[in-house]
Amino acid sequence: MLSVRNIVKQYASHRALDEVSLEVPEGKIFGLLGPNGAGKTSLIRIITQITGPDSGEVFFNGQRLNANHIAQIGYLPEERGLYKKMEIGEQVLYLAKLKGLSTPEATKRIKYWFEKLEMQDWWNKKVEDLSKGMQQKVQFVATVLHQPELIILDEPFSGFDPVNADIIKNEILELNKKGATFIFSTHRMESVEELCDHIALIHHSKKILDGSVGDIKSTYRSNTYWVEYEGQYNLNQGDPIFAVLDTQQLGNTTRIKIQLRPGQTANQVLIALLPHVSIQRLDEVIPTMNDIFIDKVKNVN
Amino acid sequence: MSTNKTLLIIEREYMSRVKKKSFIVMTLLGPVIIALFYGLIIYFSIQGVTGTSNKIAVVNDNKTITERLKSTKNTQYEYVSKPIEDMKKSVKTSGYDYILYIPEFPLDKPEGIQLLGEKQAGLSLSGKVSDHIEEMIRNQKLKESGLKQTDLDNLKSSVDISTKKINETGADEDSSAGASTIIAYVAGILMFMFIMLYGIQVMRGVIEEKTSRIIEVMISSVKPFQLMLGKIVGIALVGLTQFVLWIVLTFAISTAVVKIFVSDKDMKQTTMVQNDGSSVSTPAAAQDNPIGDIQKSMANLNVGKIVVVFLFFFIGGYLFYSALYAAIGSAVDNETETQQFMMPVMMPLFLGYALSLSVVTNDPYGSIAFWLSMIPFTSPIAMMVRLPYGVPDWQLALSMFILVAGFIVTVWVASKIYRVGILMYGKKTNFKEMVKWFTYKN
Repeated sequence: MLSVRNIVKQYASHRALDEVSLEVPEGKIFGLLGPNGAGKTSLIRIITQITGPDSGEVFFNGQRLNANHIAQIGYLPEERGLYKKMEIGEQVLYLAKLKGLSTPEATKRIKYWFEKLEMQDWWNKKVEDLSKGMQQKVQFVATVLHQPELIILDEPFSGFDPVNADIIKNEILELNKKGATFIFSTHRMESVEELCDHIALIHHSKKILDGSVGDIKSTYRSNTYWVEYEGQYNLNQGDPIFAVLDTQQLGNTTRIKIQLRPGQTANQVLIALLPHVSIQRLDEVIPTMNDIFIDKVKNVN
Repeated sequence: MSTNKTLLIIEREYMSRVKKKSFIVMTLLGPVIIALFYGLIIYFSIQGVTGTSNKIAVVNDNKTITERLKSTKNTQYEYVSKPIEDMKKSVKTSGYDYILYIPEFPLDKPEGIQLLGEKQAGLSLSGKVSDHIEEMIRNQKLKESGLKQTDLDNLKSSVDISTKKINETGADEDSSAGASTIIAYVAGILMFMFIMLYGIQVMRGVIEEKTSRIIEVMISSVKPFQLMLGKIVGIALVGLTQFVLWIVLTFAISTAVVKIFVSDKDMKQTTMVQNDGSSVSTPAAAQDNPIGDIQKSMANLNVGKIVVVFLFFFIGGYLFYSALYAAIGSAVDNETETQQFMMPVMMPLFLGYALSLSVVTNDPYGSIAFWLSMIPFTSPIAMMVRLPYGVPDWQLALSMFILVAGFIVTVWVASKIYRVGILMYGKKTNFKEMVKWFTYKN
């Protein structure tokens, strides 16, 4: 639904985005990953039309991005806040009206969300009376209130306590089920694996990796397994089926990390082992996004 | 849709400020303070006119003086025949405020006159008394030279200069340098205060949005220019609201205060004096009461025109400066960092203020006054100061035109800096940086 094509953004001596292209599929949760300062926020600011690119184009549902799309995008920035002296209800209403909602419609939806997230009695409170977590709930409601097709969340869980983070995560999944597309910008990889269908990795202003999480992970599979067994097996480096990377002895249990030789399968390993030992566990070592991220970033450097 | 959003922003900026306690307190307290001042000034000037009256016992040991001291409103002389030593002893109980002792002396060498009292007589009282004695001695001498009382009365004449301005049609208008100066001062100070106060509010508002980090949320819904304009216009409306409320409340309260401070008798007296003042035939009254004089020429000044021009220059000057303040606010992270940028923006305003109240009031038609009232940095104040003295229409129109052009330029420049500045965090900004922002493409 969102297509970013060859975006370049130049700030004086620093190039924030260098020929970045992305495709965000409809109805998916898209992770925009990268270390701090990689250019994620610059890209988001272009998508939200806060700034314009020096060159390149963005298409929203096939249309060139324009001012009419503002109402269809919800954006929760990393640097987010609320007016300190304003009452919560009034404030969310104001933000909703700026997105083009009418007063009665916005009021109705705010009531719905406040009830859903158990914040009914916050309406007349001032921001300064709320904790940081409470404020973030308010900000989340303000972001999704106008039922945008595309919701962009920049580091949404930073500062959330685990309970509220879980509540928000569930709301994100529910909205996603109802058809909203998400862009999720973060440098914290563990949140990505649970939520994202697709990711793009940005580093030093360039996109260095993108695709579906499943695809990326499978390309980064290294045919490495953890095997745990009891008994004796003669591990030698010349084994034709696998190479041993690591051995650990835990009481009677032996734990080994192996890498299959080309053309071999996990079944071959079991066939070789079974006559000698009793197998307790066999796990494929799947790289985490964090590993891939670090690996990719290191390679680039 | 986009004007709609600007309206929403204006509404919020306006409502959130008007509902603040500080606004309500200032709006109510401002006129009370102004009215109190006004009331006190009137009170004291009436006191000056009626004065505190002193009862003075005159002990005249001088055989050559047959003329008597004439009592005036504030000094009542009573001749007593007791010796001075007795009077000194009974000063507490006698009911007199002072004892005036006139010893024996030759008329051309009056020496040894004493004004005695429990309290030492003030400078103005002793001055008055010595004037009275001088007049008495002069009369004594004139009589001795053979003049009659009627001749003496004929010699007396009071002089009051009335300053008049000739208008375009050639008719002369009553005016008073005093009245023009007062109005010029008040208008100049008000203009300076309003531009400062509300300009800085714009800056604070921008900084608040930056420090509270709401700015990015806002900017994803509205254009930076809309946000800046909405803020500037919203706060301008707050200023106008306060201004109008102040005028209305000041009139209401000062009427009440004057009634409380000034008794009915005094009121009658001042109105009487004022009425006298408006007719040229009794210069003595006008001399006694400068307020009557000033009020008279205030009536001749075109108050309606002054108010309208004030509003125009307030809006123009405010827009001119507030845009600059908005740009400064966008470039910094917190208020303490504003200092280096505030200086260059404040200087012309202060300069305009200081020069207007000194040079322009002294020489309202001079070339310095002219240029100050043309340059948009100083024109709102300088023009307001010049206006009560009379400004040719073409100059007024030209100054207005330059101011409008000026604020269009500052708003344009400020918006270019603002849209970059509001998204910059944690970076120390300097002027070079700001110039760079100015050239960024959007």
